[in-house]
Amino acid sequence: MTEADANPIEQPVPGIALVAVAAAWLVPGLGHLILRRWGRAMIFFFCVGALAVTGLLLRGNVFSLHSADAFDFLGYLADLGSGMFFFIAKAVERTGPDVSRAAGDYGTRFLAAAGVINVLCVFDAYEIGCGIKN
Amino acid sequence: MMLTHFEAMLLFAFLVSVAFGCLTRKTAAERVKSTAVAFGLFVFVSVAIGWLMYPFSR
Repeated sequence: MTEADANPIEQPVPGIALVAVAAAWLVPGLGHLILRRWGRAMIFFFCVGALAVTGLLLRGNVFSLHSADAFDFLGYLADLGSGMFFFIAKAVERTGPDVSRAAGDYGTRFLAAAGVINVLCVFDAYEIGCGIKN
Repeated sequence: MMLTHFEAMLLFAFLVSVAFGCLTRKTAAERVKSTAVAFGLFVFVSVAIGWLMYPFSR
């Protein structure tokens, strides 16, 4: 039995998809929680959170909007995808990134991966909310 | 936080594989299998590329 079979939403509720999208972006997994996909919600929160926290602990670069070049701006968009973890990282990052070591560079990739995966989760929540996917 | 390059790669591969497995498969069994395959491929390809680059590292 799949998770969707256990907790079916027979008819998509109008507007629930948009609420789920906003929630899924802001708090990874919350969109799935609203759609009653408990298991996926916990897994996505754990994966995105672990990637973002590890990236921060490795002192990866958290890009800002006013970046030096186009690649930094793309990095900003990727980081922004992780929702609350981006804002938390911005708030607690006091010592700044340390990309002079390989670990810092890995941290930058961890943070970007967290954002990109959360964007995929947002699309997944949208499809579930619209009834395209179970 | 101190992680070796290999540990960081293992952690990254595990977390991304789990997320991909849950996003792309429907049943629990399919998800576990997909996660395991993706994780194995992550590690195998990373080690293979590492060895391919080895002759140029010095």
